[in-house]
Amino acid sequence: MVYIKNPYIRYIRRKPWAVIAPVSVIVVLYFFLFSSSSSLSSSSGSKNSAQSSPKYNYNTKSRRWFAKNRDSIILKNLPSDHISHYDLNKLTTSPDALAKKEEVLILTPMSRFLPQYWANLQKLSYDHSLISLGFILPRNNDGDVALKQLEEAIKDASTNNQLKYKKITILRQDSNSLDSQLEKDRHALKVQKERRSMMALARNSLVFTTISPTTSWILWLDADIVETPETLIQDLVAHNKPVISANVYQRYYNEEEKKNAIRAYDFNNWVESEEGLKIAASLPEDEIVVEGYAEMATYRPLMALFYDANGDQHTEMALDGVGGGAVMVKADVHRDGAMFPSFPFYHLIETEGFAKMAKRLGYEVFGLPNYLVYHYNE
Amino acid sequence: MSSSPYDDDSKTLKYSRSRSPAVVVFSVFKSKVLYFVVLFLIGIAFIGAQMLAFTSSAYTPDFSKLSNVQFFDLAHYDGSANGWQYEERVLFCVPLRDAAAHLPMFFGHMKNLTYPHNLIDLAFLVSDSSDDTMGALKKHLKEIQNDPDTTKRFGEIEIFEKDFGQVIGQGFSDRHGFAAQGPRRKLMARARNWLWTVAIKPYHSHVYWRDADVETVPPTILEDLMHHDKDVIVPNVWRPLPDWLGNQQPYDLNSWQESDGGLQLADTLDEDACIVEGYVEYQTWRPHLAYLRDPYGDPEVEMELDGIGGVSILTKAKVFRTGGHFPAFSFEKHAETEAFGKLSKRMGYSVIGLPHYVIWHIYEPSSDDLKHMEWMALEEIRQKEEAKIKKVYDKVWNKAFEDVQEHWNLEKSKFLKNTDMSNLRHIQVDWSGVDDWNLDDKQQNKKLADFNP
Repeated sequence: MVYIKNPYIRYIRRKPWAVIAPVSVIVVLYFFLFSSSSSLSSSSGSKNSAQSSPKYNYNTKSRRWFAKNRDSIILKNLPSDHISHYDLNKLTTSPDALAKKEEVLILTPMSRFLPQYWANLQKLSYDHSLISLGFILPRNNDGDVALKQLEEAIKDASTNNQLKYKKITILRQDSNSLDSQLEKDRHALKVQKERRSMMALARNSLVFTTISPTTSWILWLDADIVETPETLIQDLVAHNKPVISANVYQRYYNEEEKKNAIRAYDFNNWVESEEGLKIAASLPEDEIVVEGYAEMATYRPLMALFYDANGDQHTEMALDGVGGGAVMVKADVHRDGAMFPSFPFYHLIETEGFAKMAKRLGYEVFGLPNYLVYHYNE
Repeated sequence: MSSSPYDDDSKTLKYSRSRSPAVVVFSVFKSKVLYFVVLFLIGIAFIGAQMLAFTSSAYTPDFSKLSNVQFFDLAHYDGSANGWQYEERVLFCVPLRDAAAHLPMFFGHMKNLTYPHNLIDLAFLVSDSSDDTMGALKKHLKEIQNDPDTTKRFGEIEIFEKDFGQVIGQGFSDRHGFAAQGPRRKLMARARNWLWTVAIKPYHSHVYWRDADVETVPPTILEDLMHHDKDVIVPNVWRPLPDWLGNQQPYDLNSWQESDGGLQLADTLDEDACIVEGYVEYQTWRPHLAYLRDPYGDPEVEMELDGIGGVSILTKAKVFRTGGHFPAFSFEKHAETEAFGKLSKRMGYSVIGLPHYVIWHIYEPSSDDLKHMEWMALEEIRQKEEAKIKKVYDKVWNKAFEDVQEHWNLEKSKFLKNTDMSNLRHIQVDWSGVDDWNLDDKQQNKKLADFNP
């Protein structure tokens, strides 16, 4: 007989049951836990199998055995025959939205929760029972933290009887998000494309799952916007434009002049320039043009720089690109298919790509250079 | 008892002690009990790892006390190969326009679907209909939702109404003429987008698009497409034809793979142009899914596609959630479903067709076909009429020119059978002048009309 040096193999050869038994116990245990838990559907499936054996197995399985899906209950408050009917022809979008009781959906991708944001949101003077809220949070630690704070804020508001919104939908993004959201990293040109692509996916997931048959207007309000006029919704709606963007500024302490001041923050609201088109034409198909980088001087007229402190708040200007700070969109624009491209669309991505797509669909895009909302200052 | 395992083990230990610490550890497990315990612990660890793999560590809030606040983790709704076992919900989208006539057939198919009905949410868009599509639809839905067999009833059903102003008629030739294609496809894209954007919910894992006018489709269509586990997948679509047109024909030419010819053509067209497949005006030389069908081929065979048709599309819901839509503008020189294929590819999703797995669209005759059929119908009537006339004619003709010679001979022999024919006298009659009795002497010199039998 061959002498085998390896003591393990020799042991197994002599006592095969020592291995086979535990392994089979594991296999049995595994199948017991993770395969079929025959239920109602299997019994109804076997009825068909009397004639011909079914092609597929209809036994239900569970993917999460020890952690149940704790998402909100699906399909509640349905009519008895489950049939509901909506006439979208009757849906309106008009300048006096409040008088016509048009519903507004406020959407916010949130990677951090700012109490100032929530306070500002609560102060909006539009009828809260006509407002629905939608949040999407990234799948990382930042998201966990923000979600806990948001949950707390909502529950607090609820106990104080200040939660009057028609509906609040909170989503957790499925794709992994970039972890670092530090100001410095966030704006590096190299990570811009990837970051904004992720952001586009988040925005799309948010808008398309929350838009309802009764939604007339959609307000994109970033989680970093901490100060807006109370009449933000009424003011933007009054212009009755398919897409209209407020000018995003930031409050800061001016060290030189020793006083509080404001400065432009969002440079994604712009008008296309010859130079910008030239740069775009010279780029390969999957490259993007972004604003605010010295490497890429587009000489585009930026709405942020058109602010006139003494000017009329209602001044409009036609735009080609928008940022996501505070943008009011007619729900029809999104229903027609305008979305935030997660890939370079005419060398544009995310909100700027959205503006381009809305234009391709025949909608006009506007900005209000003298109507300011304020970004958080870190 | 020199062959006791303990002796053996202690021997090998001497070799191996210096070699590997694992062997040292092994020596501790001389006891069988300990050995079992360790293997069992490994097993538990394995199962635990499985558990962890399926458990998301992300924080889940609890809003069960607030009725108007909902939380969904989208990672739970990514869709898998056998979603029916994991209770994954399918959004079943059906755009309808003047479709009342097709609904009985359509609901016949719906009743037979094998995918658990309670997991299917139906969404209908009724637009620009001149017939009673809405009434018929509601009638059928009420019937199916009140089925005594509760497993036949569907999940949430939403009917949306929206008119887009139809510029193009719905006749086959109106719809399929070349010039009508661009604007028509863009309008249909809008309609499709209005349907899914309002219908899709966070908890949908799959979206299925289906036209109402599909004649033959397997009841397992959802499972058949889903088990491929692709982001976007379409079957091959053919249609039956009357005998005189050759029995069958590829129907959906919108499912294709991009070709160099197609790309070159796209480069020559302006931004808003819209390439449509299957028209001589646009020669793209693309390989079409429809033409690659082998009736005896394996239905599981997959093929990469760039443009797809809209008769029957199964997608993961995340394709739509993350922004995939039916471009109602010219996207890479395409619109609607073809552009949806291109857009999905652009977003990094897989777009697959099944060349040998076929569903059958109904046959709607084109205007040429209709003309031909009308001619065929008239021709049939004419031939019938002709046959009838010929019958009468033949009858009259036979009557008039019946040959009675034989009958006469028979008759003659019958009544002459008792007559002695031996002394039969031959009588000569002089018939001359018999015909002259009427002739007028004065007209003697007139010439008779030429008669030449």
